[in-house]
Order: sequence, then C-alpha cells, then structure tokens
Amino acid sequence: MLPKEQSATEYTPEERALMFRVMIWVSLRWLAIVGIVIVTLVATKAFHIGFPTLPVYATCAAIALYNLFLLRQSQRLKAEEPGLVVKKAETFGNIQTFLDLAALTVLLHFTGGIENPFISLYLIHTIGISIVLPKRRAYELTTLAILMATLLAFLEYAEVIPHVNLQGFVLPYRYSELSRVSGVLAALAALVYAGTYVTTAVSGELRRRQREVVKLRDQLLEKRAMELEQTSREIAKLEEERRHFVRFLGVVAHDLQSPLVATLSVLSYILDGYTGQITDGQRDLMQRAVRRIDGLLTLITDLLDIPRIETGQITREMRDISLNEVIKRSVEGLDSLSKQKGLALRVELPQISPKVYGSSRRLQQVVTNLVSNAINYTHEGMVLVRATESDSEVRLEVIDSGIGISPEDLPRLFTDFFRGSNVEIKGTGLGLSISKRIVEAHGGRIWAESPDPETNKGSKFTVTLPKKRIAVHPEKEEQTQVGL
Amino acid sequence: MKQRPKILVVDDDVDLVTVMRGALESKSYEVIVAYNGKEGLEKAKKEKPDLVILDILMPVMDGFTFADLFNKEPSLAKIPVIALTSFSESLGQPFPFEVCEYIVKPLKPKELIAKVEERLKRGSSQT
Repeated sequence: MLPKEQSATEYTPEERALMFRVMIWVSLRWLAIVGIVIVTLVATKAFHIGFPTLPVYATCAAIALYNLFLLRQSQRLKAEEPGLVVKKAETFGNIQTFLDLAALTVLLHFTGGIENPFISLYLIHTIGISIVLPKRRAYELTTLAILMATLLAFLEYAEVIPHVNLQGFVLPYRYSELSRVSGVLAALAALVYAGTYVTTAVSGELRRRQREVVKLRDQLLEKRAMELEQTSREIAKLEEERRHFVRFLGVVAHDLQSPLVATLSVLSYILDGYTGQITDGQRDLMQRAVRRIDGLLTLITDLLDIPRIETGQITREMRDISLNEVIKRSVEGLDSLSKQKGLALRVELPQISPKVYGSSRRLQQVVTNLVSNAINYTHEGMVLVRATESDSEVRLEVIDSGIGISPEDLPRLFTDFFRGSNVEIKGTGLGLSISKRIVEAHGGRIWAESPDPETNKGSKFTVTLPKKRIAVHPEKEEQTQVGL
Repeated sequence: MKQRPKILVVDDDVDLVTVMRGALESKSYEVIVAYNGKEGLEKAKKEKPDLVILDILMPVMDGFTFADLFNKEPSLAKIPVIALTSFSESLGQPFPFEVCEYIVKPLKPKELIAKVEERLKRGSSQT
C-alpha cells in the first residue's frame, strides 16, 4: 500500500508527540521481547532460579504477534493527514498501552508476581506515557497500571489464581503476607506516581517552550513578510521615479541640443560661403564660436548620456553584432584626422568577425573615444587597433606611440571629468568615464597601461567583452511587479 | 535627369530649414518645405518630390510614423529619403525606409549637398 502524499500543513507538537509514541513503541517492543527472553534464560540457567519458562515464552510469542499487528496499523497511520492523526493515534496508543500493561502483568504473574523485582518495570510504561500524553491522561493510565498490579497481587493473595514461586530466589510465602504485599504495592505506587509527576512536568515544560518557539517564529516570519512588502513597494516607487527621470532627460536632451545644433548649422552655412564672401576676421571669430558651441554640445550630450547608460537604457539597443563592423566604422571616421597628423592608423582584425551581444552604436562610441584619444595624444608614430577572440571573451586593444600616461594619472583615468596632468587637448573629460560605463553595461572590462608593455612607449587601452549574453541592467523585461 | 529636381525638406527647426533651403537652392534645386510629418506627407503626395530630407525627431508625427505611412503610399514609396538624425538617436535601429541615407546633425551644408547629389544621381541611374 503506497502512502499518500503528506499534506502541506504541519503537525502540532502534540500531534508530533503522539506519532512518536505510536511509532517508537512498536520498535521498543521487539527489544523488550528479546530482553525478556535473555533475562529468563539468565535467571533459569545461570542463577538457577526455578519457575516454569513455557508460559513466559508463550506470552512473548503473543506479544510478538500483536506487535506485528500494531506495526501494520502504525504504517497505515503514517499515511494519514495531520489533524486526523490525533484522533486515530490516541485510540491506537491507548490500545497499545492497555495491551502492554496487560502483557506485563501476565508476565509478572508467571514470574513470581510481587516477588519479582522487575515489578518496577511498570515505570517504563508510565514514563513512556507521561512523555507524550497530557497530564490527566498520564495519571489515569498510571493509576490503571497500579490497579493491574494490585489486581494481580490480590488475586494471588486470595488464591484465586495460583502463585508462581521463584524457587531459589525468594521464600514462597511472601505473596500471602499482607504486609509484604502492601509494602511492595505501596513502593510501586510511589515510584510510578513520582515518575509520572516528574516526567509530565518536564514534558509539559518542553512542549510549552516548543509552542513558544513556533509562535515566535511565526511572528518573525510575518514581520519579515511585511518588511519585504514594504521594501518592494519602495523599490517599485523608486523604479517609477527613475523611469520618469529618464523620460525627462530625453525631453531635456532634445530641448538643449536642438538650438545648439541649429546654431552650428547656421554658422557652418555662413562659413561655407553661402551668404557671400566673409573676411578673415569674421571667419576667425565664427570658427571660435563654432568650437565653443561644439564643445558645449558634446558636454551636454555626454552628461545626458550618463544617466541613460547607468539606468540600463542601452540594453534595449543590444543585439548580436559584428565587432569588426563596429571597429571599421569607427576607424573610417577618424582616418582623416590621423592623416592630418601624419600618423599611421593600423587595424588588425580576425578573419571571422567576433560576435558580441551589445549596442553597435555605443560600442562604436567607445572605439571612437579610444582611437581619437590615441590620435590626439600621439604626435608621431602609429595608432594600432587590434581585436582578438578567445573562448570566453573578445578583446580590443588600442595602442599608441604617444605621450603616454603618468603613473599618478593612471588610476584616476576613468573617473568623471578627469583631465590628465599632461593634457593638451580641450575636452570635457567625460569620454573615458562614459566608455567605461558602456563597457561595464556590456558586462566587460576596460583598463589602461602606460607604457604599452610590448613597445615600451605610449599607452595601451584594453577592452574585454564577454561572449555570452550578459545584460548588467536587465531592464529589457518591463517589470510591473518588483519582487525580491 | 529632370530639370530642377524637386526636394522636400521636412524638419521642425526653422533655422535648420533656412540653412538647408539656402544651400539647396544655391545648387538650383527646387525646395518644398514642411514643418511636421503630417504636413510633410500632404506635400509629398501633392508635389511628388525626387528626394525627401527628413528630420527624425519632430512633434505631431515623428520620423518613424512618417516612414511607415510614407511606405504605405504606392506613389511615394519609391522616393529616396535622407534622414537627419542627432547622434543620440536611431543608429541602433534599422530605419524603415526602402532607400535611405543618414546625415548626423549638426548639419554641414557641404555634406548635405554632396549626399543629395549622390543620391539623386544614383536614383536616376536606376531608372
């Protein structure tokens, strides 16, 4: 018979105690039977105490039989749901107790009655009962035990049933002496009631503490759940605020950039001669104006970019892209600049373009930033852009033979608004910090070495990107319910 | 090649439009102007330009919606489009025009002219 699935509800400490009583007693009974047999053998063979052993073994057999039956019943009980267990276990337990006490009494009868010092074994049962049962019931069953013992003693005393004498152990007539009989019974009563008292007290205390622990635990869980809910709500609110802020930025960006863009276009228009001839003086001043506005535009774009990158907006742009394409497009745009400075701009790409998961625009931004830095800070020699691929990552290196980076500057290179000590080019100082943010949003790393370890001059910037899909800000899923 | 190719400029920025019109007219192109997508579609249907220059981010109707409706019109779908975009836009997304180029703002008139000429040349060589 297959046991049913246990239901999800829990056993109370009381229920658990009852189950314990039911199960363990079955096992103990086997031990008891073995013990009885051994003691009987020792008593009769070793100590040569005389009494008929057949009834003893017969009783043991009977105990074994009903234990088997109880084993079957206890297995049936295990399959019951909590709640139902209590009732059934109680009845079951009571039957067991009664049978055990009866068996003990019968065995005692066949082994000398009140002559047998093992009469104190009633204590085992009363203690067992007291551990698992409530006080009243424990006392009731203890009294039952005493009554059974008294009944046996009385029946033998009144010669209703024959007394078995333990020959060689005790004088045969003690059983008929009232003083002896009452003495033994009184002692037994004192023993078992004392045992019951102590055991029920201890057991009751333990169960009380157990209940308290459960209550505390439940309180704690409830408190924790409330805190969790509170935190979730706060997070949801923050997320909403953040989304709102990013939307706000989008609007702000456009409104800040459009006028500047228009102004630059107008100035270019004039500078290109579409409004007619302009003097050198006019040209010079207008070019200054263009430079200032261009710088401002870059600054605004960079500044507004940062929150967008940090809040993971760029993960929306991410897809599987070809790194070679990104690098080529970036280098194309800077080719003329490097030619102007008389530098060699070399590109080494693998035959098969490495595939990465990312935003092609943003990665192009990073490459452009690194390569234009390399060009701007190099006066002669070359700038090398190299891409390589390994099992786990894709690596991009930008190496230049330029003025290098001083050791003091190296650790602060990627911080916001960092301007190096040997700086010559005007800029916002946000380029590298934004590149770092972009790279990290792609799950990659970026770092600089100066001088380049291979050529021992200039600088080397390395970017690594993982080949597996990693979005560091998983905002792709619209989270309507934020849970931890 | 037709005499005086017609170019439709759709952009919400008045100054930019002025610049573009000036540059294009200096090369003898006929310029039609619209300041939002809705107006742009109407004028496109009416005037049948040879090329459209389109700003992506505009009020009333943005560039993508325009593109969608543009493509759905059989008379318009074949007209080449040059899209104006600021760097912080769209390069990540494929642009839904059949024939398309990008120009990144801020606008250099020379670049605009060059792209326009190249596009028109390509367009006529396909017929």
